[in-house]
Amino acid sequence: MKGKAVPHLIGVFPLGMMSLFFLAPLAFMVMVSFYERDPLGFFNEAFVWDNYAKFFSSFYYTISLRSLWSASLGAVLVVLLAFPAMYIIVDMARRWQLFWVILLLSLMCLSEVIIGFAWLILFSENSGIPKFMGWIGVWENPRSLSPSFGAMMVGYVTLGFSLVALMFLPQLARRDRSIEEAALTLGTPPMQVFSKVILPNFKAGIVSALVTMFVYFLGVFVMPTMLGRPQDWNMTVIITDKAVGDANMPLGAALSVIMLIFTLFIIGALTYASRNKDKGALT
Amino acid sequence: MIPIFKRLFVTAIAVGLILPFVIVAGVSINSASNISFPPSELSLKWYTQLLTEPDWLLPIRNSLSIAAVAGFIAVSIALAANYVLWRLKSGFGKLVFGLGLGPFMLPPIIIAMGASVFWAEMGFYGRVEATVISHGVFFVTLPLVILARGFAALSDDVIEASRTMGATPWQTFVKVIFPLVLPYAITGYALVAIISVNEYLISYMVSGFVVETLPIRIFNNVRYGYTPVVASAAMGFALLTIGTLLVLSMFTDLLKLLGASRD
Repeated sequence: MKGKAVPHLIGVFPLGMMSLFFLAPLAFMVMVSFYERDPLGFFNEAFVWDNYAKFFSSFYYTISLRSLWSASLGAVLVVLLAFPAMYIIVDMARRWQLFWVILLLSLMCLSEVIIGFAWLILFSENSGIPKFMGWIGVWENPRSLSPSFGAMMVGYVTLGFSLVALMFLPQLARRDRSIEEAALTLGTPPMQVFSKVILPNFKAGIVSALVTMFVYFLGVFVMPTMLGRPQDWNMTVIITDKAVGDANMPLGAALSVIMLIFTLFIIGALTYASRNKDKGALT
Repeated sequence: MIPIFKRLFVTAIAVGLILPFVIVAGVSINSASNISFPPSELSLKWYTQLLTEPDWLLPIRNSLSIAAVAGFIAVSIALAANYVLWRLKSGFGKLVFGLGLGPFMLPPIIIAMGASVFWAEMGFYGRVEATVISHGVFFVTLPLVILARGFAALSDDVIEASRTMGATPWQTFVKVIFPLVLPYAITGYALVAIISVNEYLISYMVSGFVVETLPIRIFNNVRYGYTPVVASAAMGFALLTIGTLLVLSMFTDLLKLLGASRD
């Protein structure tokens, strides 16, 4: 049919832009990860495994474990807070929902740098929580609460909360309420309705939120550098440090490729699991 | 008992999310030149400094111009991709659309590292054009998803009417489709612009030490000793972001757009 040619032609524009500026850079990164570092410029063409070999040392082993730990803990904390919160918020009056949506959207858009800075001040001994606690007499010798692992986690949670909450918002607002209403009229306590009816129904949504947050937290840079101690720094900080600080792009690229493969593996496993479950539901 | 508990829980979270910014606001209007809260003497001098010193004006100008162009790039890609999917429904259309969802699935560091290597090889490392294009391409997901709602809401009757009245596909697009999806395009543009202004890692890795954007400026300042100007910059930022969203909420139904209302 003649009418199909034009849409195909128009499609070349988004396809070209995405291939050239999204896929090509990723392919390039894979290529550069085999290059050699050039102390005078960026890199020299080569084919060496050195950059990958560096990953298998105790230093990167520790960093990897640490990144996995902080990202998973952050993901769990965010979902634990955001799911019940959104469950309550979707039943609030419309104006309060709008208040929350604007608050969450603002936080989602707001720079990591600014959220980190705000917590930095709130944790500092001359203007934030420590000062307040000293003032009311709970803490005699107030000290700054950051940098610390706890402060970094608070930063993670503030950063991820808006995203997860906005993911849950449509699912929770449009859910079919007939089953919970039935359970309630049959005299089930609300807490049990929440744990026995709602949670199992949202298992898929919760798992995908957990995975999204986990992947997102693997890639945060500002929170660990601003609120964490050097021993809390994750792989992202190290990659940035190597690539920009030491001007060692091949090493940065190799570490990113490893992270990319890991991420794709996780996303693939999740898609596979959810597809299998759909099949199971059909038969 | 339960309702009170619910209310307390939600309020506690709201306080946790808002409190940091109350403190920053307090610091930004305190005249003392060290960061402290509560403010002892009120003054707007840090805001004056923010808006008069070239040290701050240049990053502000950089950030705003990057955002303006990046938003335009993202929305035109998203609009084209959605139109193609809407016309073809399958195959090629889905491929184009799916590619646009990619950037949001990967950790930003991977995208930033890829962009950094790519632009270095192209000889654009450290140029503002590189940041603009990267932002435009990587934030395409938001307008893509938002415009998809707009295209889903197009009723077939209108298109059918326009076709039977003899309009060419181009005329139909310009006179019928475009006006109908325009609110979605504007929302998408605004969101990309806001996110671009706030973005740190990609700007930093692509051209960070040449083109200083506002987040980079703030980050460097915080890292190497800071004055309350940073607080006023952060506040200016937050107000700009919230203001844009409030304006948006006036002429689009944000709850519906995010899928919150039960239609």
